[in-house]
Amino acid sequence: MIQAVTQRKRPRRRLAVDVTAAVNLIGMLGKYLGLAALFPVPFALGYGEPVWPFLATGAIVSGLGFALERMTAGAAQRVGVREGFLVVSATWLLAAAFAALPYLFIGGDQLDHPLDAYFEGMSGVTTTGASVVTDLDGINRSLGIWRQFTQWMGGMGIIVLAIAVLPRLRVGGRQLLESEMPGPEIAQLSERIRQTARNLWFLYIGLTVLQTLLLSAMGWLGIDEEMTPYEALAHAFSTMPTGGFSTRPRSAEEFAAASQWILAAFMLIAGANFALMYVGFLRRKPRVLLRDEELRLYLAIAAIATAVVTAMIWGYGIAEGEEAVRTGFFQAVSIITTTGMASTDFALWPAVLLLSLFALMFVGGSAGSTGGSIKVVRHLLLGKVLRRELDQTVSPEVVMPIRLNGSPVDERTLRAIAAFILLYVGFWAVGAGTIAIDSAITGAGLGTLDSLAVSATTLGNVGPAFGIAGPMGSFAALGDVSKITLIGLMWAGRLEIVPVVVLLTRHYWRL
Amino acid sequence: MRIFVIGAGQVGFEIVEALHTDHDVTVIDTESARLAAMAERYDVVTFEGDGTSRRDLASAGVQRADLVIACTSRDEVNLVAGMFARREAKSATTVIRTSNLEYVDLWRAGQLDVDFVVCSELETAHAISRIIGVPAARQTDVFADGQVQIVEFDVEESSSPDVVGVPVREAKFPRDSKVAAIIRGDEMLLPGGEDVIRAGDRVVVIGSPDAAQAWSQLLAPEGTTVRDVVIYGAGRVGSAIARVLIDQGIGVRLVEASSERARSVAEALPQARVYNATGIDPDFLERERIGHASAAIFAMRDDAKNLYAASLVEVHGVRFTIGIAHDPVSIAAFEHGGIDVAVNPRTVTAEEIIRFAHDPRTQQIALLEGNRYEVIDVTMRDTSEYIGKAFKEMPIRGALIGAIVRDGIAVFPHSDDVLEAGDRVIVFTKAADAPRVVAAL
Repeated sequence: MIQAVTQRKRPRRRLAVDVTAAVNLIGMLGKYLGLAALFPVPFALGYGEPVWPFLATGAIVSGLGFALERMTAGAAQRVGVREGFLVVSATWLLAAAFAALPYLFIGGDQLDHPLDAYFEGMSGVTTTGASVVTDLDGINRSLGIWRQFTQWMGGMGIIVLAIAVLPRLRVGGRQLLESEMPGPEIAQLSERIRQTARNLWFLYIGLTVLQTLLLSAMGWLGIDEEMTPYEALAHAFSTMPTGGFSTRPRSAEEFAAASQWILAAFMLIAGANFALMYVGFLRRKPRVLLRDEELRLYLAIAAIATAVVTAMIWGYGIAEGEEAVRTGFFQAVSIITTTGMASTDFALWPAVLLLSLFALMFVGGSAGSTGGSIKVVRHLLLGKVLRRELDQTVSPEVVMPIRLNGSPVDERTLRAIAAFILLYVGFWAVGAGTIAIDSAITGAGLGTLDSLAVSATTLGNVGPAFGIAGPMGSFAALGDVSKITLIGLMWAGRLEIVPVVVLLTRHYWRL
Repeated sequence: MRIFVIGAGQVGFEIVEALHTDHDVTVIDTESARLAAMAERYDVVTFEGDGTSRRDLASAGVQRADLVIACTSRDEVNLVAGMFARREAKSATTVIRTSNLEYVDLWRAGQLDVDFVVCSELETAHAISRIIGVPAARQTDVFADGQVQIVEFDVEESSSPDVVGVPVREAKFPRDSKVAAIIRGDEMLLPGGEDVIRAGDRVVVIGSPDAAQAWSQLLAPEGTTVRDVVIYGAGRVGSAIARVLIDQGIGVRLVEASSERARSVAEALPQARVYNATGIDPDFLERERIGHASAAIFAMRDDAKNLYAASLVEVHGVRFTIGIAHDPVSIAAFEHGGIDVAVNPRTVTAEEIIRFAHDPRTQQIALLEGNRYEVIDVTMRDTSEYIGKAFKEMPIRGALIGAIVRDGIAVFPHSDDVLEAGDRVIVFTKAADAPRVVAAL
């Protein structure tokens, strides 16, 4: 018997992260994710539009995923906490590329530049809703529904979906789920992650179907001529994930009042905690909803913001009566929940109103919702921490655990929240600075407030800003540096910054 | 009655002390030294063995017991011993001591396989809440579902001249109350008409709750109702006290030196304000206005620290201090050092447990002055020689009837009242005389 001489491997730099395992999991996710490209195919067939872009997209993504999985097969497959950050961050970068492929194929002039296509893809999957498209009529219906659909996929989370439906995901616990789920990790989910993921998606799909039917009914009953079933589905795909893309150049402006009310109501629902709503509605424990501090604060903020915006709209004579209330409610809720759909071109409003909307961009939805930005619960807890700081200034010895819904919150969680908010503000400021400078160099025409708003709107996954980047405008005029910056902000904002920033630390990679 | 006591610690000693003269007591413990000390002092059977071993319990003769008391300092031992005892001695009453309020709740819900659960911390907390309920009181016990209160007061120079310095016959006592005893130094006096209450005495009053409040006003005119307290020490005793007082609407501030315990009690009791401090720093006392509290309770583990902190807090202006004395020896030191009331959790626990050992005629019993005096709630025998006699005809013989419970209603007797068959009487006596008194009634 001949014994093979053991090859002495060159001593490799020891990485703390098992990149092979991470790539393997990313490959597997990609393999299944490619199937999502089949969704617009029936639309393309029905409207007599080309089918190949979607088939090609699916083939490329699934093929690439399959290849990655095969190449890395056999390695010790352990996706732990460290690998989780890499998987989540990379998956979302790739998901944006996946979303962008059909734009490249049939997007025409406005989307054929790879950076523009990628921007639109990232904006979709991160449910931002900021668009570089200047002429929506130039996009055919199947591509249009794809654009809406990418938001819907990203809304509840790609990995959450994978955990829910794939037979076995080799992941080490909750890490992946938690890095993708919005909001701080406070409530220990009592169920297995797979069941949790399924419950969330079940509710998400259910609400989407309900909204589609309600909107379609507006069309069928003749209340809203514009609201065809196609539009109903397209806008449900935009509302439930708090995305903001519309198939219409004037966003939701042309829809009837009833439809706008429905859209706004569902935005409000989408900004609430899905896990909480699952328990409250489907487990029939409405008390849980009533007692939840975050939900109460969220609704209070929405009510106050609506009142303030309505009053100003009425005061400035922009609208009055039901229209003023509806416009105020729609815009306030749209910005708070980070949806970014518009029922009127609010970029034309006076500066005071713009500042109000600007401030609302930092509110965000609830934890466990599809909304972005800082999230209500973080504001709530930070407020409590600040109040405690004041009390402890007077009485340094006093011990005051911070409570949420009666139960004490871990100090580590509170520190993480403070760190998150600092990072958030830092990213916003750096992003705004970069855009302002780039805009000055390229002459894109963004003012100071506009630059600040553009940075906030992308980091918070809201969508529209002011000026040329307003709800009826487009980000197309921005320079490449700005676009790259905004893509980064959308990506970081969707993953709540930390999983992305962790990748930049030395400690993450090295032992 | 054959009584089986598991655990020869402090509580065990107190129980045996109170029960050994009238009952056959067997004590089981794992430590022979403790048993030897027990056997030296009391005429009881001792058995070295493990309370959690069913075999040991059986060989010690638990199956013949009428009452099994598991009173070691460890909850788990008491639980297991109580459950085994129940299996071995089917007819016995089982009583276990616990430090865990959760077991009390479980027992109330019928989930624990024992007859009674006595929680030291809870009993201590209740004792303190009773004391706080009657300002100026040194100790209070409630009888007949709260209709009758037994209160021991310190008589001070500032006490009202209506009751101090005049013969009892002429004194204006509050309605529905009776002075059961005057304690002067080591002497106890069952007051006759000519006796005089003097400053420096302690008096035991039996009366209605309203009367107890009125007494409190007479004896300590400046004593106001307690609205807020500061508790030093947030251990099990301290937090149990805090919980009970919070339930009564009293504002509670807790001072705890261990940051970990401070945090956990702050998490458990949102209504309490918790400080992580030793509480003896003058800056802290000043800044937090500790001196403004209407009462301070010292429930730290170390008796010496309790005494020191209490002195300091009194210096800062707190008028009323209660100290938890873990060691019986500390009680005298506490009182000497100016703490108004000293409470020993083990005595309180023993008192609660001893209730179960009394014959069926006895409803309840309270121990006063370190077990030297007892207040007993006992039902009259039909054949008692006292039935049909008016109070004024009764001789004073080392016992005093403070109240009668007739058909569930408390009556505070006057000299013309007559005892009837079926009456329950609440009687004050020396502990040593208690069995004789009960037998006579």
